[in-house]
Amino acid sequence: MDLTGGFGARSGGVGPCREPIGLESLHLGDEFRQLVTTLPPENAGGSFTALLELPPTQAVELLHFTDSSSSQVAAVTGIGGEIAPPLHSFGGTLAFPSNSVLMERAARFSVIATEQQNGNISGETPTSSVPSNSSANLDRVKTEPAETDSSQRLISDSAIENQIPSPSQNNRNGKRKDFEKKGKSSTKKNKSSEENEKLPYVHVRARRGQATDSHSLAERARREKINARMKLLQELVPGCDKIQGTALVLDEIINHVQSLQRQVEMLSMRLAAVNPRIDFNLDTILASENGSLMDGSFNGTPMQLAWPHQAIETEQSFHHRQLPPPPTQQWPFDGLNQPVWGREEDQADGNDNSNLMAVSENVMVASANLHPNQVKMEL
Amino acid sequence: MASADKLINTDVPEKDVFALHFLQSLSNLRTQSPLNSPNKSIDRVRKIKKAAYVSMARAAGGTSRLWSRALLRRAAKDDNKSVRFSRRKRKVTWKISSKRKRSNQRAPVVEEAAERLRNLVPGGGGMETSKLMEETAHYIKCLSMQVKVMQCLVDGLSQK
Repeated sequence: MDLTGGFGARSGGVGPCREPIGLESLHLGDEFRQLVTTLPPENAGGSFTALLELPPTQAVELLHFTDSSSSQVAAVTGIGGEIAPPLHSFGGTLAFPSNSVLMERAARFSVIATEQQNGNISGETPTSSVPSNSSANLDRVKTEPAETDSSQRLISDSAIENQIPSPSQNNRNGKRKDFEKKGKSSTKKNKSSEENEKLPYVHVRARRGQATDSHSLAERARREKINARMKLLQELVPGCDKIQGTALVLDEIINHVQSLQRQVEMLSMRLAAVNPRIDFNLDTILASENGSLMDGSFNGTPMQLAWPHQAIETEQSFHHRQLPPPPTQQWPFDGLNQPVWGREEDQADGNDNSNLMAVSENVMVASANLHPNQVKMEL
Repeated sequence: MASADKLINTDVPEKDVFALHFLQSLSNLRTQSPLNSPNKSIDRVRKIKKAAYVSMARAAGGTSRLWSRALLRRAAKDDNKSVRFSRRKRKVTWKISSKRKRSNQRAPVVEEAAERLRNLVPGGGGMETSKLMEETAHYIKCLSMQVKVMQCLVDGLSQK
C-alpha cells in the first residue's frame, strides 16, 4: 500500500503537481525520497514526463525489494506474467532493456494508480463508490484491457511484496476488472445492479458476465428505469398482472387509456343530454353529488337552507343582479379547499353537515361572485 | 389515493378536488352559454368534454405535471378567453433529438408502444420513454378519477 500510495501521489500530480502524500509512509532511503521530491518540481510543466520517469525509478526500488524476499519473488514470477520475469532478471542491476517498455507500463500505471489511489485513499469507503470510480476509469482503460490486466497484476504484486495490512482489499481494488472478466472473486460474485432514482447520479454495478461499457451501463440503467415504471403501470391497469410479456402489457395499457378517454366522452354526452339547457341548479347538483360522493349521513336540506336566495335563480337574474364585490383572491383551490375538504372527511358524521354547508356555501358564493365580464373563466 | 411507490410520485388529489373543479367549470360554462346560445347538442358536448379535461388538468396539479400543462396549453390555444393559462418560460429540451436518433437501438417493442402512448397522452411528444410512462401512470389515475366524478354526476342528475 505504501508504494501504491506513492504511485497514486505521482499519478495524482498529472494535472497540478501535488505534495507526495504517501512518501512519509514509505520507508525508503533518503536518496529515493530526494529523487521523488525533486522530480515533480523539475517537470512542473510536463508532469506527465515526470510520471514516466518516476515509476522506472520506483520500479528499481521494486527490484531491490524483490531481492530482500525471495519467496515473494516466486509469487511475482508466478503471477506477473510477462512483466515480472524481465524485472526479476535485473536483480540488483539498474540496467533496463528498454526504457520505452517501462514507460509504457508507467503510462498504464498512472491510470491504474489513480484507480488504486481512489480505492486506497477512500479506504474503508463502501464498495459501492469504488465501482463508480472504476466505471469512470473504465473509459480510459477501455482501449487496452489486456495490458491493464498485467499492470494491475504488477501493482498487486508490489502490494503483496510490501506486506500491506489489507492485501485483500487491494487485490479487490486492483483486480476488480479481472474478477469481472474471470469471475474469480467471491465478494463480487453476487453483485446486483443498484439503481437509486433519487440521486442525480445512477450508481450501477455491472453484473457478472456482462459488458462493462459505459454505454451499455447507461443502457442497462435506462432499461431498468423503464421496467420499474412499467411495473407501476401494470399495477394500475386492472388485469395486467396476469399477462406475461411486455408487449401485451403495453397493449393493455394503451387500451386502458383509450377506454378511459372514450368513457369521458360518453359521459360528457350523457351530461349534455341530461341537462338540455345546461342550466344547472347547482344546489341540486351538489345535493345529488354529495349524496353519492360523501359517505356520511348527508341530506340535501341543510344545503337548500343555506342559500335561499339562490333557489329561484335563473340565468337572467344571475347576470343582472347586484353582485357583491368579488373576492380579492382568485379561489386558490389547492391552498384553501383541500384542507377544508380534508377536514370534513376526518370529522365525525355529526359535524359533517355543518362543514359541508360551509364548503358548499363557499362554492356558491365564489361562483356567484364571478362576474361574467370580469372572469377569465377558470374552466 | 396514495401511491405505493416511494421513488416515483404518482399521487393524485382526492375525488372531491376533481368534483369541485368540474362543477365550477360547468357553472362557468353555464354563464357562458346564454351568450352564444348553442342549440346544437354537439357543441354542447364538445364544450362539456373540454371543460371536463381542463378541470381535470387543473385538479390534477395545474402545471406541475407535463401532461396537464400540455393539455391546458392546447385548450388555451383554441380559445384564449375561456381558459386562463399563464405561459411558463420554455425549457429547452435538446435531448430529444439526439435520443430519438438512437431510439431504434432501444427495445423497439417498447419504443413503438411508446409512440402510440405519445399520441394518446397529451404532451407526450417531447418526452423520453421513462418519463412518458410516469406521466401515463399519473394520467391514468386522473382519468379514472374524473370518470368517477362524472359518473356520479350523471347518476345524480338522471335520478332526479
